[in-house]
Amino acid sequence: MGMAVVMSLFAGRLVQLQGLDSKVFEAKAATLRVHEETLTARRGPITDINGNELALTVEAREISADPTKVKPADRDRVAGSLAAVLGADKAKIAAKLAQTGTRYTLLASNVPTATTAKVLALKIGGVVATPHYERWYPGGSLAGGVIGYVGDEGHGLTGFEQAYDKLLAGQDGRQTVETSGTGQRIPMTRTTKQEPVAGRGLRLTLDRDIQWAAERAITRQVAATGARSGSVIVMDVRTGQLVAMANAPEVDLNAWQRTPDVGNRAVSEVFEPGSTNKVITAAAALEAGVVRPETVFQVADKYRCADRVLGDAHPHPPENLTFTGIIAESSNVGTIMAADRVGDQPLYTMLKAFGFGAKTGAGLYGEEAGLLPRRETWSGSQRCTIAFGQGVSVTALQMASVYQTIANGGVRLTPQIVAGTVDQHGRFVPAKAPKQTRVVGTRTAKDITRMLEAAVSAEGTGSLAAIKGYRVAGKTGTAQRYDESCRGYCGYTATFVGFTPADAPRLVALAVLQAPENGHFGGEIAAPVFKEVMTFALKSRKIPPTGTTAPPVRTGTGG
Amino acid sequence: MSQALVPRSRSLVRRAMGARSPVWRVDGVLLVAVMALSVIGTLLVWSSTRTWAAGAPTGMVMKHVLNLAIGWVLCGIAALADRRTLRIYAPAVYGVSLLGLLAVITPLGSTINGSHSWILLGGGFAVQPSELAKPALILMLCALLAEPARGTDRPRTLDLVLCAAAAAIAMGLVMLQPDFGTTMVLAVITGAIMIFAGLRKRYIAALGALAGAGAAAVWLLGLLKPYQIARFTAFINPANDPRGAGYNSTQSLIAIGSGELFGKGLFHGGQTTGRFVPEQHTDFIFTVAGEEFGFLGAVTVVALLGVVLLRGLRIARRSEDRFSAMVVGGIVCWFAFQTFVNVGMTIGIMPITGVPLPFVSYGGTATFANMIALGLIQAVHIRERPF
Repeated sequence: MGMAVVMSLFAGRLVQLQGLDSKVFEAKAATLRVHEETLTARRGPITDINGNELALTVEAREISADPTKVKPADRDRVAGSLAAVLGADKAKIAAKLAQTGTRYTLLASNVPTATTAKVLALKIGGVVATPHYERWYPGGSLAGGVIGYVGDEGHGLTGFEQAYDKLLAGQDGRQTVETSGTGQRIPMTRTTKQEPVAGRGLRLTLDRDIQWAAERAITRQVAATGARSGSVIVMDVRTGQLVAMANAPEVDLNAWQRTPDVGNRAVSEVFEPGSTNKVITAAAALEAGVVRPETVFQVADKYRCADRVLGDAHPHPPENLTFTGIIAESSNVGTIMAADRVGDQPLYTMLKAFGFGAKTGAGLYGEEAGLLPRRETWSGSQRCTIAFGQGVSVTALQMASVYQTIANGGVRLTPQIVAGTVDQHGRFVPAKAPKQTRVVGTRTAKDITRMLEAAVSAEGTGSLAAIKGYRVAGKTGTAQRYDESCRGYCGYTATFVGFTPADAPRLVALAVLQAPENGHFGGEIAAPVFKEVMTFALKSRKIPPTGTTAPPVRTGTGG
Repeated sequence: MSQALVPRSRSLVRRAMGARSPVWRVDGVLLVAVMALSVIGTLLVWSSTRTWAAGAPTGMVMKHVLNLAIGWVLCGIAALADRRTLRIYAPAVYGVSLLGLLAVITPLGSTINGSHSWILLGGGFAVQPSELAKPALILMLCALLAEPARGTDRPRTLDLVLCAAAAAIAMGLVMLQPDFGTTMVLAVITGAIMIFAGLRKRYIAALGALAGAGAAAVWLLGLLKPYQIARFTAFINPANDPRGAGYNSTQSLIAIGSGELFGKGLFHGGQTTGRFVPEQHTDFIFTVAGEEFGFLGAVTVVALLGVVLLRGLRIARRSEDRFSAMVVGGIVCWFAFQTFVNVGMTIGIMPITGVPLPFVSYGGTATFANMIALGLIQAVHIRERPF
């Protein structure tokens, strides 16, 4: 009788557990056992135009330990053998193994597979190797500001790594696994798996070799002149593609945590361009038909403009200069005189047409738009200063784009740095062709080119940029530099920008140095950088000299 | 009586298999029920231990099968014993078991799972004398109480005192290990046998009061270890401490509950394979049945145990011999108590006590003891007067 009661008690309880509440227990059971794991997608590489990897993802191993599983008595011995294999400090490993309050301590990351095998061969309980992907930049700091780097969570923090993070990262997969009470995977249990989708590769228009040469040249010059920073841009005239975009100093991408983030100064640093801006004044004047290259101005060394008296860089007696001579010798007064003939509105329109005050459209991370004050806000003297490149701010890329436009017969091509994307099977999808905009007429472009060629001649300010055998057109710029630290102008921005060959332009190059201390004239310190980089680029691209000579130009009338 | 009619000249085999052989007089239902439980137990032990050592999924189950084989042999030997032999040897058996319990306390003993109740024999084998103490105590108590006081149906007072002393010594030694579960089993056996012996109602009441007082004393004097108190509080509310004292209980319910009606199938219980329930091959073996065989399997196990108990009671009732009836009754109470406590704790209606499930749980000595007890029941049945 009593037994019947007990039996029905059991049966009733079993009905309750396995019938009525079974779903509750089933769910509890599932939460205990089933764990979701993320299958990290392999990040796509970033390559230069020729497919040379600038950023790639390698599979590496992370060696970690569960300190609670290492007996205190064995700790010293274990640390010793691990240190020997990993080539690490024994004391440090022993200290990590002594953290018995945690069940996970990272002993080494980015461990090659061969070393991992050796570690696992030691068969130390509690020491495990987990595969993970490591981002590796073979070039170190090469194009560092452009490429950017990936943070510890696997997402891009700056540069293309950030701007194209979604494309590069791909789609992580997921898998659910059943693990036992002790944390081991239960064999032959149901698992669901969603395969990761590898990230796409990104092919840039940069040329690794020219990039390297540009970086070397600007780094040396920044060091030699004591400049705060410097940038070099090389651009293909006919395609608008960026061949090199170098900055100094540059972040070491493999050790970005230990180097200050300097960004990509070629697009992030906004500065007043100075005389390189004179080509826009010239373009506006020539387009308006108010000036011809051979138009003669009587140029003093001082010029009154509204409330300010503006002057040339060097004092000189009044001289007769052609407009070509004004640009070649970089006379501020002469340029202002030409600008006076143009007027505010056409000058403003021309600045806008050349892309001032707007991002270039290259799609670079951290790009600034520069500062083009609206015409209505111009002070009385602002037209005069803007005419020779003060009172307006640009990025190096914007200025390079101006010269690309001139070199390309007046047609601006949106600067392009993304050549296209590559999927994991190597199929290349090219980027959209750059937008073409006619800014000035062919005639104007040709006239300005000739004036710029004169600027690189023996009489011009940019003679140090001349490359033997090639016809070079270019312009120096020496601007007063606005500096937050002194709340005004202190120091200079030295620039040289030009293109080669002048009669059949192929490459534009720009070199800029911020706040140099040893020398500050663009013609002195930036022109040699231009020359070095351009020479290398011409050779690398196998661009032959055109074999022509520059036609003679009149720069003045016996002045 | 009937054996005497069998001619002595016939061979042992023919005698063993002959029409009047005791082999044909065993309780078949009881035998089949225990065999079924052994088979189910083997499968459950297999399932719960196959993930222990990589590459050796059958290591534990093979040991279990070996234990069962030895157990069946012991069962056969016990089944051949007759009551007179048992009564004569009872004190010796009891004495030997006491020696075993004493040996455990000496440095010969080893501690497993908090209980100092093992004697390691080497080769992975160990003996748990407290398990063998159960049948030994039954025999001893029954031998003492088998002769009622002259002219009455009640035991002599002196015999009762001796009984109480014999039980107290065994229980005391087991309590020293400490093995609370086995002590309770011994107490239940003692109480049951005294009642079978015809103890007066007032003595029964007094014994009950004494047990209550003893329990209170144990509680108040702080004789319980903290983990034992924790088990009781965890029983009241397992969710209080699901990772600590309530862990077993919570995990046990999860495993059984997730089995539902038909179970996950042998070897497919996730909780079992994942080894979430501690001591799953021994004290918590019922959870494997619950998860992998579902409600039907769990009820089958309970029903088979019920059959064993009912057949035992039937045999005890039919026995004309006082000693035999008491022995069988004691054994049935022992099995009944263990079944109730074990199944009860796994389904959360009893506090957790380390008591194995008879014929199902893994455990060498427990299997031997159970099989010997089964043999004793069969021995009584075999020697019953035929109707």
